[in-house]
Amino acid sequence: MKLEKKQKFISTLDAHKKIIYKIVNSYCPNKENRKDLEQEIIIQLWNTFDRYDPQYKYSTWMYRIALNVAISYYRKEKKGLVKTDFYNEESVYTIADEQEYDTSLDINISLLQDFIDKLNVLNKAMLLLYLEEKSYEEIAAILGITKTNVATKISRLKQQLKKEFKNR
Amino acid sequence: MKLTELKGLVRKHDNQLDHMLQLNSETIKKIQLQKPQRNINTTLRKRVFEVICFTTFALCTGMYIAANLEQTHLVVSGIIVHLFTLVALIGSIGQVVLLKQIDYSKPIVEIRKKIELVNAHDLFFFKLMFLSAPIWWAYALVALDFILGFDLFIYLDAEFINRYIIINLLLILPVAWAFNKLSYKNLHVQWVRNTIGFFTGSNTKKALVFLNEIEEFEN
Repeated sequence: MKLEKKQKFISTLDAHKKIIYKIVNSYCPNKENRKDLEQEIIIQLWNTFDRYDPQYKYSTWMYRIALNVAISYYRKEKKGLVKTDFYNEESVYTIADEQEYDTSLDINISLLQDFIDKLNVLNKAMLLLYLEEKSYEEIAAILGITKTNVATKISRLKQQLKKEFKNR
Repeated sequence: MKLTELKGLVRKHDNQLDHMLQLNSETIKKIQLQKPQRNINTTLRKRVFEVICFTTFALCTGMYIAANLEQTHLVVSGIIVHLFTLVALIGSIGQVVLLKQIDYSKPIVEIRKKIELVNAHDLFFFKLMFLSAPIWWAYALVALDFILGFDLFIYLDAEFINRYIIINLLLILPVAWAFNKLSYKNLHVQWVRNTIGFFTGSNTKKALVFLNEIEEFEN
């Protein structure tokens, strides 16, 4: 039964693997600590796996947990309170065929990542969800604010983004 | 670069990630998934310890009041100390309730508020001590009598007592005003920021700054 549950859990993670990867990259500036954050998120996902509310999409539920854990981790890291000797040394991700990876994409994505890094933790979450092409309704459900508020904030972030990328 | 172009880039990057990103199921199987939430459990233990201490203290002050019913000055002092203990106890119980409600599958803003209210708990105690300033004598009278069996009040001059009471009554309004000001909503005021930082430390101050940000984000 437990093995079945673990298998189901891993296949669910696999179906939404980009969620954790992107959140970890955005909230963990220190590459050394990324595997710790990955594992913390996975542990939290496992702990709440049985309590998943089918009222929401699985991605909504996963985003909430991953973002909550990442924000806590990010704030602890800033205070220098993160201990990294608690987890396995390995990352849960590998990137295959790196030579095929389009490096010109990488430059623009890096610039975008730099912009995201400068935002506060809540606006960072907002922008990540917007770039994931989540609906305003889903963003509101993940963040716990009104749809109108989401629209206003995204409008402001779009203005900032336009300014940032105007001359690129 | 236009926004639509940027979104197109992100989409392309996503497609690449879809092909290239692989999840290591063997690594996941090695993770100790049953690991408890260390930080929340440590904080919860501290708060439960507070609840136990304040409950004990409240019971002791209750018994002290009952044992000194014939001595008005000791009863009044005892009631004051008892009331402040009850407020502290309610605060600590509130913290335990908040900690029990922290569920990472809930919306971000809701959970962040609860976490930061837990992190800013020291401000609550500082404000309580601050509010005790006009009636600190109650603590002194009760402590001296309870610990040393020494009733200081009977040795005090009536004129001194009256003068002291007047001075402390005059302090109530300014203390109440300052008490009201010492909140995360007033961190833009320098003396508030400095006072909170000095008496509660940088971690509490950071929690309060974040509470402010959360509130702004929510509205």
